[in-house]
Amino acid sequence: MENNFNSTEEYVASEELMASVNVAMALKKPLLIKGEPGTGKTMLAQAVAKSLGLRLIIWNVKSTTKAQDGLYMYDTIQRLYDGQFGEEGVDDIARYIKLGKLGEAFESEEQVVLLIDEIDKADLEFPNDLLWELDQMEFYIHETKRTVKAKKRPIVIITSNAEKELPDAFLRRCIFHYIAFPDEALMREIVKVHFPDVEENLLKNAMDTFYWIRSMREVRKKPSTSELIDWINALQIGGIPADKIRSELPFIGVVVKKDEDLETVKHYV
Amino acid sequence: MFLKFFYKCREKELKIGLSEWLTLIDALDQGLCGSQLTQFYYVARMILVKSETDFDKFDTAFEEVFKGAQADEEVTQQMLRWLDKPELSELLKKEEKRFGNQHTSEDNQIDKEDVETRFKERLKEQTEEHNGGSFWIGTTGSTPFGNTGNYVGGVRVGGASGYQSAFEVVGQRKFRDFRDDRVLESRQFQMALRKLRQFSTRLEIPKTELDIDATIDKTCNNGGCLQIEMMRPRKNAVKLLLLMDSGGTMIPYSSLVNELFQTVNKSNHFKDVKCYYFHNCIYSKVYKTPECENGDWIDTDWMFRNLDSDYKVIIVGDAAMAPEELYSVTGNYRGPNGGLAGIDWLKLMKSHYKRIIWMNPKMAPGRAPWREAETAIKELLPMYKLTVSGLNEGMKKLMETR
Repeated sequence: MENNFNSTEEYVASEELMASVNVAMALKKPLLIKGEPGTGKTMLAQAVAKSLGLRLIIWNVKSTTKAQDGLYMYDTIQRLYDGQFGEEGVDDIARYIKLGKLGEAFESEEQVVLLIDEIDKADLEFPNDLLWELDQMEFYIHETKRTVKAKKRPIVIITSNAEKELPDAFLRRCIFHYIAFPDEALMREIVKVHFPDVEENLLKNAMDTFYWIRSMREVRKKPSTSELIDWINALQIGGIPADKIRSELPFIGVVVKKDEDLETVKHYV
Repeated sequence: MFLKFFYKCREKELKIGLSEWLTLIDALDQGLCGSQLTQFYYVARMILVKSETDFDKFDTAFEEVFKGAQADEEVTQQMLRWLDKPELSELLKKEEKRFGNQHTSEDNQIDKEDVETRFKERLKEQTEEHNGGSFWIGTTGSTPFGNTGNYVGGVRVGGASGYQSAFEVVGQRKFRDFRDDRVLESRQFQMALRKLRQFSTRLEIPKTELDIDATIDKTCNNGGCLQIEMMRPRKNAVKLLLLMDSGGTMIPYSSLVNELFQTVNKSNHFKDVKCYYFHNCIYSKVYKTPECENGDWIDTDWMFRNLDSDYKVIIVGDAAMAPEELYSVTGNYRGPNGGLAGIDWLKLMKSHYKRIIWMNPKMAPGRAPWREAETAIKELLPMYKLTVSGLNEGMKKLMETR
């Protein structure tokens, strides 16, 4: 493999994760990423694109998204209007076909990275509707009788928050990676990427407190990586002395987001 | 080549099909696994396993297949000959020591000898799997040792780091927590409850959605002048009645039940949700609060009258009660019995609500004659254990159409 994905300046990937990305690329399969919120699933695609020097196309999936939206849209209303006012080129249906994100990725002259973000947000059947398209990397536009085929097979990265279970047939076609919550060593690296000159003492205290909060069983919403990064940023800007972090929990609202959790944490201080 | 592993995985109830397997073979052909067992472990896992809940099953299958295997006679002898070389034994010992220490520092329960024999077993087995060791020998170039004599050290050290870390990962079984036959947490509750969906457009709600097809038809029939047609949105028609035991024996499960309650309350995809509490068994009153204070209740009859039989009912309780609490007409020691024994109230529940299940956080597996009440209730109502898979089964039962 010539084009290998590596950690970038902004993104620290575990060895396992790097291997997953590279295997997925070599086998030409979509890579399905699962993990706790805030473990950097979405950022991975950006890092892959950057590391390989490719363009990134993001398809944000919402609860109302249909598979068809990613392929193409036939703007019938526009055509209807144009027809009523006698515009030029109404008879050319292709003018009213707008490619979706998947179509855009297929039509691109260069290889791109396609991120299908939070696929589990959509309806249960959504992934099944994309099976053929992701397998064969092509789809058919009925209105113009044209087949859109990928010029360069895009690298497909799919993220899921596990809100819904994905269908087996879909899973069969994916390479799966579960981003485990980073351990302290990896977390340290991640924080250093964001704040290269963070003071050692502050970092240590903040991380200790962070993992201590995470270890509490009663805490309902466990803070994640992005929250730790925000917190360290806040601590730095606020100029809080390192030894006060554990005892006074300054700006704790950045880390703990629920009233009940806040009380639990304060109770243990 | 690894067919045994394939079948072992299937035996462990991993849903692996031929296509995944061929993908793995493809990956091996492309040399994506390198020559290390660790890497093979990760690559195999990312291709074969599609959910973190199955990682643990995969780990056990992997351990069973790649741990105790037949030794290749020829290679072993060759190795033993190599091992005999005195000038290398010093080096070797050093390596072994390092290897042993590493292990003891991480896992005190394994003694050095055990580690060593296991390590040797794996070494043999892996050589076999990699076609007579040619694969392995290839990797030795990267070890600190160079030529034939140092081969042994090479194989050994390379093998040690490769195997050991793979088994370290496996051995920790750190994905055990993700298994879906363990007791539930809130996110998983949500996922299970999402299964309770029954879309219908026949509900009595205003037509608020644009019916595109009909609009197009009408407009076309109208000679191109826009004529809009509206329709009722599709809505979930499921109504849910949740009845929760808050008796003394349920206290260990209070956070679990609370979690379920929170989830049900938060799920906004039901048409209606009603929650009531009971103490050990359902009698003539159900309580509005988990404290089950006298007076703060409604009549069970009222519930029957007002919540029609369309409601799907989930009863959560441990079904742990004295036989008289279930069978005696004066068995309710906290409140009125209403002239019927607990079991009769449950029968009434069953005859009124067609879709009813009992979720039990501490259900005994199979038949448990020593838990008389539980067994009796199990015969009356479909009972499931309050775990991810149990709840999923229960949801399926609730959604059955007759």
